[in-house]
Amino acid sequence: MALTGRLGLLALLGAVAPILLPSWWTLLALWGALLLGVLVDLALAGNVRALRFHRSGDTNVRLGETAHVALIVENLGRRRLKARLRDVWPPSAAAAPRTVHVDVPAGERRRVDMALTPTRRGDRRAVTVVVRSVGPLGLAARQLSRSAPWTVRALPAFPSRRHLPAKLARLRELTGAHVALIRGQGTEFDSLREYVDGDDVRSIDWRATARRADVVVRTWRPERDRRIYMVLDTGRTSAGRVGDIPRLDCSMDAALLLGTLASRAGDRVDMLAYDRRVRTRVEGASRTDLLPAMVHAMAPLEPELLEFDAAGMVSTLMARVRQRCLVVLLTELNTAAIEEGLLPLLPLLTARHLVMVAAVSDPRVGEMAGARGDLAAVYDAAAAERARAERRRLTAELRSHGVEVVDAPPQDIAPALADAYLALKAAGRL
Amino acid sequence: MVMQSPARAHETGGGTNGGGARGEASARQVAGRRWRSARGVVAALLAMAVIAVILAALRPSGSPDRLDPTSPKRDGSRALAEILKQHGTPVTVARHAAQAVDASGTGTVMVVTRSERLTQDDIDRMRGAQGDLLLVEPTAPVLEALAPGVEIQNTSFASTADPECSLQAATLAGSVTFGQSQTYEVSGNAVSCYEVDQEARLAQVQDGPRTVTVLGSSAPLTNQHLAEEGNAALLMNLAGARQSVVWLAPDIPTEGAGAGQESLTDLLPFGVKLFFLELIVAVALVALWRGRRLGPVVAEALPVVVRSAETVEGRARLYRASRARDRAAGALRSGARERLVPLLGLPRSSAQDPAAAQEIVAAVARRTDRDEAYVGAALYGPEPVDDAGLIALTSVLDDLERQVRQS
Repeated sequence: MALTGRLGLLALLGAVAPILLPSWWTLLALWGALLLGVLVDLALAGNVRALRFHRSGDTNVRLGETAHVALIVENLGRRRLKARLRDVWPPSAAAAPRTVHVDVPAGERRRVDMALTPTRRGDRRAVTVVVRSVGPLGLAARQLSRSAPWTVRALPAFPSRRHLPAKLARLRELTGAHVALIRGQGTEFDSLREYVDGDDVRSIDWRATARRADVVVRTWRPERDRRIYMVLDTGRTSAGRVGDIPRLDCSMDAALLLGTLASRAGDRVDMLAYDRRVRTRVEGASRTDLLPAMVHAMAPLEPELLEFDAAGMVSTLMARVRQRCLVVLLTELNTAAIEEGLLPLLPLLTARHLVMVAAVSDPRVGEMAGARGDLAAVYDAAAAERARAERRRLTAELRSHGVEVVDAPPQDIAPALADAYLALKAAGRL
Repeated sequence: MVMQSPARAHETGGGTNGGGARGEASARQVAGRRWRSARGVVAALLAMAVIAVILAALRPSGSPDRLDPTSPKRDGSRALAEILKQHGTPVTVARHAAQAVDASGTGTVMVVTRSERLTQDDIDRMRGAQGDLLLVEPTAPVLEALAPGVEIQNTSFASTADPECSLQAATLAGSVTFGQSQTYEVSGNAVSCYEVDQEARLAQVQDGPRTVTVLGSSAPLTNQHLAEEGNAALLMNLAGARQSVVWLAPDIPTEGAGAGQESLTDLLPFGVKLFFLELIVAVALVALWRGRRLGPVVAEALPVVVRSAETVEGRARLYRASRARDRAAGALRSGARERLVPLLGLPRSSAQDPAAAQEIVAAVARRTDRDEAYVGAALYGPEPVDDAGLIALTSVLDDLERQVRQS
C-alpha cells in the first residue's frame, strides 16, 4: 500500500474546515471521508498480486555496449491493471527507463523493454520489480515488490581486437606457404615442394632432388602445438588506475589479444588469474571456445587489495604444467613486489619455461617527467625520472634472468605483447 | 670551486627572473586557493560581527541597575541614599511592589524608580499603600493610577530651571538640572513647578491622605548629577520629608508574575486548535506519501579507485616538502644521461657508470656548442644551491639534450 500526494493535499485543504465550523464533528467527518476514499481506492485499484513476471533478452554484453532485456508483465487477475512499474537494477547497470507506465488488460501480457549499459565489468543481477497501481480516486495505491531474477554479464570490452587482423596477417606470413621462401622462419620441417626462383639454395633437399627429376626444396614452418600459460596478477598493484581504467583491465585486454592470436597460430592457451589464491582458470579450451571461455572467466574478476603471492603462483604453475611452455605474467613492474616476490623464484621458473613479463606503464609518469616551469613541476619531473630509472633497472634485472619484458602504455600493451609473441615464434624460441 | 655551476651561469643570463616570477605566481595561486576555501567562513564571521554590532547599537542605553540605591555607578543613586541615611532618615530598599507596600506606613515616603518594570498587579497593590509617594519618571499607567490630575504631555530637553512655584521643597532648593525630562499637564489642586511652556516637570498632588510628587526626570537622582545646582537639596526636601524612606527599585518581573493565568492554549479559539491538529495530520500524510519509495535503494560494492601514479606524485611532494634538491637534481641528471647515452652511441650501462663520466662529457661537448666544463657541471655537477638553480638545471639539461638530438 502507498498513499499519494493528492491525499496529503486534500488533508491540507481540509484544515480550513474546522476554522469555518469549529467542532470535533467537522474533523471526524473529514477524516472519515478521506479514509473512505483510501479504502475505495485500495479496493478498486488493479490487483498487483495477480501479476506474473517473465524475462527474456541478452545475458551477455560487452562493456560499453547496450544489452536489451525484456520484462514481460502478465496480468492473471480479473481486472485491467494500470500501474507505474520500476525494474530495479544496481546503479552500475545503468538501466533505463527508470520507471514505466504499464496498462495490462485482464488475462493479457505486455512487454517492458529495458536497456542496460553497464559501466563496469561483472555480473549485474536484477534486484526486484516494483509495481504501484493507483486507485480511481488517486488517493491511495497498491504496491508490490516481487523478484524477477535475471543476470546480465558485462564482459571485457576487448578493444584491442582491432589489432587482430594485422597480427594474424603477420602470423600467416610466418606460417603460410609463402613463408617457405625465407629460411629460418621456423625450425619445424613442413613439406617438400618444387624449387622456384628466389628460394634459398641452402634449403634444397638434395636427397629428394636426386630421387626426382626436379629440384626440390624443404619448407619450414614455425612450431605448432606449443603451450602458452598466461598468468593475470589480480593483486593490489593491478588495482591502480592508468588513465581512468584499472591496470587489470589493460592486462585483460592484452591477454585476450595474445590468447586469440596464439590459438589461431595453433598453440594451446591456458590462463590463470591469481593473487593469493587461484581466482579463475581457463585450461584445455579448444580453439573455438577459447575466447568466450576467457572472456567469461575474466568478467567477474576485480582486483583484490592483497599482495601478489609469487611463491604460490609459481608452485601452482609448476604443479599444473609439466612440459615446457611460455609463461606470460601480466603484472606491474613494482620494485618492492617484484624484487621480494618474483625475482628469487625466477630461476625455478626459467629452468623449465620461457618467461615473459608484460606490464602496463602509466603515461602520467611520462607527462610528469616532461613537466617544466615552476618548482613543483621540476620536483614532479625528478620523481618521475626516479620512477623510470627504477623501472629500467628492474627490466634490466629481469632480462638478465632471461625473462622477456614488455613494458608499454595502456593503448600499446596489447599489440606490443602480440608482437613479442610473434617475435619469439619467428625466432623459434617457443 | 673551479667550475662554475651551470645553474649559476644561467642565473646571470636572466633565468632567475622567470623562475622567481613563476614561484611568486604559484605562491599567489596557493594564497588564492586558501582564500577561496576560507572566504565562506570569513563571510560568516563578518556577518556575525555586523549583527552583533547592530544588536549592541539597538540595545537600550541604560545599565541594568540605573537609579538603584545601592549602585555606585554614574547612573546609580547610592549617593542620595547615603545622604538620606546620614541625615537620619532610614532607607529601606524594596525589590518588589509587595515588599514596598508592606514596608510603607503613614510616616514614610515611597520613592518609585524604574516604574516601567511594574506590572498592573503591582500598580493596583501600590494604590492601597499608605504614606507619601515620589514617582520618578513614571510610566503613563503608573501616573494614571497613582497621581490623579497629572498627565504626561511632552518631553523637554531644557536642562536647568528655576522653581517658580509655591512648593516649599522646590523654592528652598532653587534651580535644578533636569536634562531630558517628561512634562506634565496638571489640573485640580495639583502644584506645578519648574515649568516649561506651562507644563510642569515637578508636580505635587494631594490624593486623599497622601501626598504624591511626580518628578519628570531621573537625572537629579543619579550619582553623576546629584551634586549639581540644587539637585541634592530638592531631593532631600522631597524624600526626607518624613521619618523614613522606602525605595522601590523593582526587579524585572518574573514570567507569569501578575500576568493572566490563562496559557496560550486557553486563549486560542477551538477552531484554530482543530486547524493545527488537522495540519499535523496532513503533514503526516505527506510524509507517508514521500516516505514510500517505488522500490528499494540498491547498494553495491564500488571498485577501488587508486591512481597508479599516486606514489610518484607523493614522492614529488615529499621532495618538495623536504627541499631535496640533491635527490631531485641527481634523478634529473641520471634521466638525462640515460637519454643521451644511446644518442651518443655509447653502451647503455655507461649512463650510471662514474668511470664513463669523462667520455660522456667529452662526447656531449663535441656535439654541442658548450665546453666540457659546462657540460660536466650540468651532467655531474654539485647540487643546486637554491630552487632557482634547480629550475635552471632542468632547462640546461633540456637544452643539451635538444642540441645532441639535433646534431
